[in-house]
Amino acid sequence: FHFKDSLAEDLWRADLVISHAGAGSCLETLEKGKPLIVVTNEKLMNNHQLELAKQLHRDGHVLCCNCSTLVETLQSMDLSTLKPFPPGQPEKFALFLDKVVGFQ
Amino acid sequence: TGGHTTEILRLLSCLSESYSPRHYIFADSDKMSEAKIRSFEQKRSETFSDSQFTLHRIPRSREVRQSWTSSVVTTLYSILYSLPLTYKLKPDLILCNGPGTCVPVCISALLLGLLGIKRAIIVYVESICRVETLSLSGKILYHFSDYFIVQWPDLKEKYPKSVYLGRIV
Repeated sequence: FHFKDSLAEDLWRADLVISHAGAGSCLETLEKGKPLIVVTNEKLMNNHQLELAKQLHRDGHVLCCNCSTLVETLQSMDLSTLKPFPPGQPEKFALFLDKVVGFQ
Repeated sequence: TGGHTTEILRLLSCLSESYSPRHYIFADSDKMSEAKIRSFEQKRSETFSDSQFTLHRIPRSREVRQSWTSSVVTTLYSILYSLPLTYKLKPDLILCNGPGTCVPVCISALLLGLLGIKRAIIVYVESICRVETLSLSGKILYHFSDYFIVQWPDLKEKYPKSVYLGRIV
């Protein structure tokens, strides 16, 4: 499909997501608790996009591969090794900002 | 733009009623942010009675990978545009998170502060996508913001004046 407004519906129904390393795609998928394989292409992507994918991989939240190793990854993957991705905490930001601004 | 708007709305999600009125500034070329903002504010008004907000578009200071020299020109143009807007709004607090759009607004606010017209607190939150390196806006505003927040420990080490609260979006 072309550009849907939101992939949320498709994500809810999926058992496994295979995605490029775009931050929005990765985070949206992880927040819904879906297992994610990130396919990176270091030649096409600018370095900054890779940063998040690498970190998520280091932390055990996603599997990583590139186009040529995707099939092999799908065949040998063990999704139970993926760690759940805890949500961010905007409440901490609110507490911090209240102090900065002087609302206690 | 897209990801930035989603992040900033999450940052706003736990703020109290005291943070009002809210003035949203985004790039004129941005097609999606207005809808996201309105939807956020609509939901918010279901909990908080007094929801005041305004939307403003300014010329985008820099396209992705735009050349240095032309970026200076377009940024200057954006500053000239955002100066009267910032003067009119006279914000107490500026919250920004990285698109080039925020730089002219912050520079305008700094100028207004220097001229003794209005001193705003500038809080910059670097995107969650930035794990090891800062964005260009981040590199600039690290020196000019009052509070610079990063979301990964590597960046806190590299930029010691920053604030690390963990992942906040």
